[in-house]
Order: sequence, then C-alpha cells, then structure tokens
Amino acid sequence: MKILIVDDFSTMRRIIKNLLRELGFNNTVEADDGLTALPILQAGGIDFLVTDWNMPGMQGIDLLKAVRADAKLSSIPVLMVTAETKREQIMVAAQAGVNGYVVKPFTAGTLKDKIDKIFERIDAK
Amino acid sequence: MESSTKTAQLKAARALISALEADNEELIQQQLTLLTQTQESELFHEVGKLTRDLHESLNSFNVDSRLVDLTENTMPNTRERLNYVITTTEDAAHKTLGFIDQTLPLASSLKETAEKIDESWHRFRMREMNATEFRELSREIEAYLPLVKQHSDQIHINLTDMMMAQGFQDLTGQVIRQVITLLEEVEDNLVRLVKVSGKHLEHKKEDKIVDPIKAEGPQINAKNNPNVVNNQDEVDDLLSSLGF
Repeated sequence: MKILIVDDFSTMRRIIKNLLRELGFNNTVEADDGLTALPILQAGGIDFLVTDWNMPGMQGIDLLKAVRADAKLSSIPVLMVTAETKREQIMVAAQAGVNGYVVKPFTAGTLKDKIDKIFERIDAK
Repeated sequence: MESSTKTAQLKAARALISALEADNEELIQQQLTLLTQTQESELFHEVGKLTRDLHESLNSFNVDSRLVDLTENTMPNTRERLNYVITTTEDAAHKTLGFIDQTLPLASSLKETAEKIDESWHRFRMREMNATEFRELSREIEAYLPLVKQHSDQIHINLTDMMMAQGFQDLTGQVIRQVITLLEEVEDNLVRLVKVSGKHLEHKKEDKIVDPIKAEGPQINAKNNPNVVNNQDEVDDLLSSLGF
C-alpha cells in the first residue's frame, strides 16, 4: 500500500506520515501541492491519496477533480485533511467524490477511524 | 482660444484704438470693459473646471470601496487572525509542555524501579540474598513488568499527542500567509494614495465574484458562523446527511 501525502506545510506532512506509520502504512511519498502531486500519481503505483485543500499552485479540491477525471486514477481513494470547514466546501468535496473528510486540528484516532472506514467500504464492494 | 472670442476681442481692440485716437472717453471705457469681460469669463471657466476636478477627486477618495473595506472590515479581521495565531501557538505550547510534564515522571519511575531491581538482581547473582529477600525481589519484578508496559503505552500516547500538537504550524502558517497578502494590498493602496496627490485616484470598481468554496484556511470565528462546521462530528453529520 503506497500512500501519497499532499500538503504545503512540511510539518503537517510529517505528522500525517508518522500517524500512517503508526497505523502500519510505511510506504509513503509526499508532494507539496496538486501540481507536484499529479505527476507522481500519473507515474503510477499510488494506492491512496491524502490531501490538504488550501495549497498554492493547485488546490486539493482541483487535485481531487483531476484524479476523478483521469480514467487511470479515478478509483484511488482520496482522504481530505484540511482546515476548510465551510459546509458548502464539504458538500462540493463530497460531490467531487472524496472518500473521507477530516478537519484540522484532528486527532490520531480520527485519522485512523476515517482511513479504516474508507477501507471497510472498499472491501465491502 | 475660440475664433469667435478672438474676433470679438480684435473688434473691441480696434474700437478701443479708434476711441483713443478720437479721445472719446466714454467709448474708451466701454471698449475696455468689453475686453476684460471676455478675459474674466475665461478665468471663471478655469476656476469652475478646477472646482469640479477637486470635487471629483474628493469623491473618488470616498467611494474607493476597497480602501473603505480595508479599514472597516479587513483590518479588524486581521487583528482577529493574529490573535488566533497567538492563542493557537500558546495552546500548542501548553499542550506540548503538559505532555512533557506527564511523561517525565513515567520515565523516571521506570528508571528508579529498574535501578532498584537491577541492584537486588545483582546481589541475587552474587548469592548475597536470603530467601525472604528473594521473595521480595520476585514480587517487585512481577509488579514491575506490567508497569513497564502500562507506562510505555502512556509514553507512546503522550508522544503521539505531542506530535499532533505540532499541527499548529500549518494552521497558523495559513493565517500568517493571509495577513502577508493583506499587507501587500495595503501597501499597494497606500502607494496609490500617494500618487493621487498628482492626479485622480483611479477608481476601479471591480465586481467581486464570490466563490463559495474558495479556500480560506482555518475559520477564526467558526462558532458565530452557521456556514461552517465546528468539529469533526459536524463534518461526519453533514456527510452522512449526503449519504456518506
């Protein structure tokens, strides 16, 4: 399981990376916005995407839309971890096909919970 | 100068010369008045134009909506944002220090008991220990091992929480970036304000296109805003209402 972590703040990428390691996901790669994330995704081998929303360059919501619009990437589960908390934003993310939405600041438990739920749903299919 | 005015002035000047030559006092006065009158109306015209320009300049000051918006809304909002940075960093520092306070005694107690057991164990190996002392040592080891697990677990939890507290850097970083953008805008507006002393303040009234999902970073005043969620539970509720 290879996970791509996209956030413009290196501290947040490190936090998410450490939490994922705790959960047993040791294989992670990082990108600092949608523009740098897309080539990594297109190169193949990414099984799960964790992305922030508010980033310079290409924002997380646009990355999500780009992933869903790309036939080769469209089935990758996407978890959004963001400080964006407007109801409209969450609805737009849901419509764009996000698999989970975690608001910052979050706890280790919340992240685990949401990742578990995403895999449960995938396994159930 | 307009040609009609010029013709009128020439006519008046010629009449003035002939009046002077004829030494006709009354006609001289009449033609002089006629000449200065056109001059005066030019002056009034210029003063009127200047007054209008000034009026428009002052008006464009008043209605530059961005300047008004900056002073009335954005500045207080920025103060709130910077206060958010203070409270968030303060909160993160206290959390981290709190976890350190909780963790240090756990590590110390493990070390102290380990040292005590190590000493007794050494005596046992050197056959310097009687049966009663050995039974005591066994009890100590029995009590110690589960404690090691328990304390290690707690230390692990505390360290994870300490790590989570570092998320403040991302949240406050987003807010500080917004403040920097604002400062650049204020600078830009001040430069325009300085330029206006020479010419009119360019009045650009841009139509604000409201993007409902524009990324805004952490919400500073979420509690008073019905359009934003306050915590993960509300996110989950909203998503489940959407069939998630």
